[in-house]
Amino acid sequence: MKTLLLSLAGALLASTTLQAVSNDEVAARKVAYEIAGAFTNEGFKMRDGCWSGKIELKKAQIIQVNLYAGNQYWFSLGATGAAKKLSVSIYDETGKPLAFEPFTDEGKAAAGFAPAASGSYYIKVEELEGAPATFCLLYSYK
Amino acid sequence: MIRKLRTPAVLALALALAGASYGAEEPPVPAGPALTPEELSGAVKIDALTIPTPGEVLAAIDKLGKPDWASAIRPPISTNYSSRAQMAINIGGLVADGYIAVEAASPQQVKNIGRDIVTLARPLGVGQDIINRGKSLVEFADDGRWDTLKEEFEATQNEVKTSMRENKDSELITLVTLGGWIRATQAMANYVAAHYTEDAAKLLRQPGIVHFLNERLAALPEKVRDDNAVRKARAGLATMEKAISFPAATPPSKEAVQNLDDLATKLLKDLAVKKQ
Repeated sequence: MKTLLLSLAGALLASTTLQAVSNDEVAARKVAYEIAGAFTNEGFKMRDGCWSGKIELKKAQIIQVNLYAGNQYWFSLGATGAAKKLSVSIYDETGKPLAFEPFTDEGKAAAGFAPAASGSYYIKVEELEGAPATFCLLYSYK
Repeated sequence: MIRKLRTPAVLALALALAGASYGAEEPPVPAGPALTPEELSGAVKIDALTIPTPGEVLAAIDKLGKPDWASAIRPPISTNYSSRAQMAINIGGLVADGYIAVEAASPQQVKNIGRDIVTLARPLGVGQDIINRGKSLVEFADDGRWDTLKEEFEATQNEVKTSMRENKDSELITLVTLGGWIRATQAMANYVAAHYTEDAAKLLRQPGIVHFLNERLAALPEKVRDDNAVRKARAGLATMEKAISFPAATPPSKEAVQNLDDLATKLLKDLAVKKQ
């Protein structure tokens, strides 16, 4: 656990210094790392990259990812304090909503998914309650 | 249809203490509207998340059986190129080689590949961070910390990309990604061709990745697009696209998979040739 926390701290520090991200992005990333860190204990590998930006009430944002059948994925979303309730949802390449394992808590959310087919998927992040905030989405796989 | 994921115990405990809702027995039936064509076309695509790491590709292969990863290690490539674009493509390929060496649990290969990445990246003006990553790779390999090494190779690749961005070499970032994806796809095609099943062949379907890479390559500055290695890579990608853009329910034949393996193997060799 200590190693994990050290590596997370290192990753945050490296991200901060190398990519000159804002303090809000660092804060949002820290929340996302906290969620994803729990999956690491279950053998999930955390992606080093993160999708950050601003999020507003009821204005969904969508990212395309490309996944492999057989793998399991967790998409972890963290946001700064102004965001009270968030959601993560998953769609196939035609835009059809898919079943996933959800998690929500104040200022954070996650979605677990094991695709039956390799290909493109879409991850939608939404703020359902709160004020404009900064978010960070990352994912883990195994 | 999705498979049930096991609730991570630590998270479940933490969330239970926090009173959070989590870990339903079965995933809920999807609700809500489908994405509109505008939402689909406007979706964000970023190198850092839209393209899978070689580690994700290898993880999928691992579930097919017990690959002999040691036999998938390729001979060393040149680390002395005059073309910056060719350096970038081969750094990506080496990172994927690193994942394969980790799967093969070969400390010496990990060290060799780490050294080659640093050697190739140095002329691109990378900083001390990459050199330190190279040292970390050696330490982790000596200690047999294979799980950590997988993350270290992705972190190394990302630091190379960050250095490129800082050095105003952003156009090279896509080439690093491209090299890694070609090598990982070749490893997958090689395994599936040798252990063919229809389910295994379906894994190769990734038209979205090729589309993303093609878009990025087409947007490169003309002087980069005119580089011999980039021209070869684009031509090779166009050929590979046909082989991995099949309908989800129609897997490619064994011959088609073998053809993809041959194409990707030849492309990797061509891209690593010192004199372009």
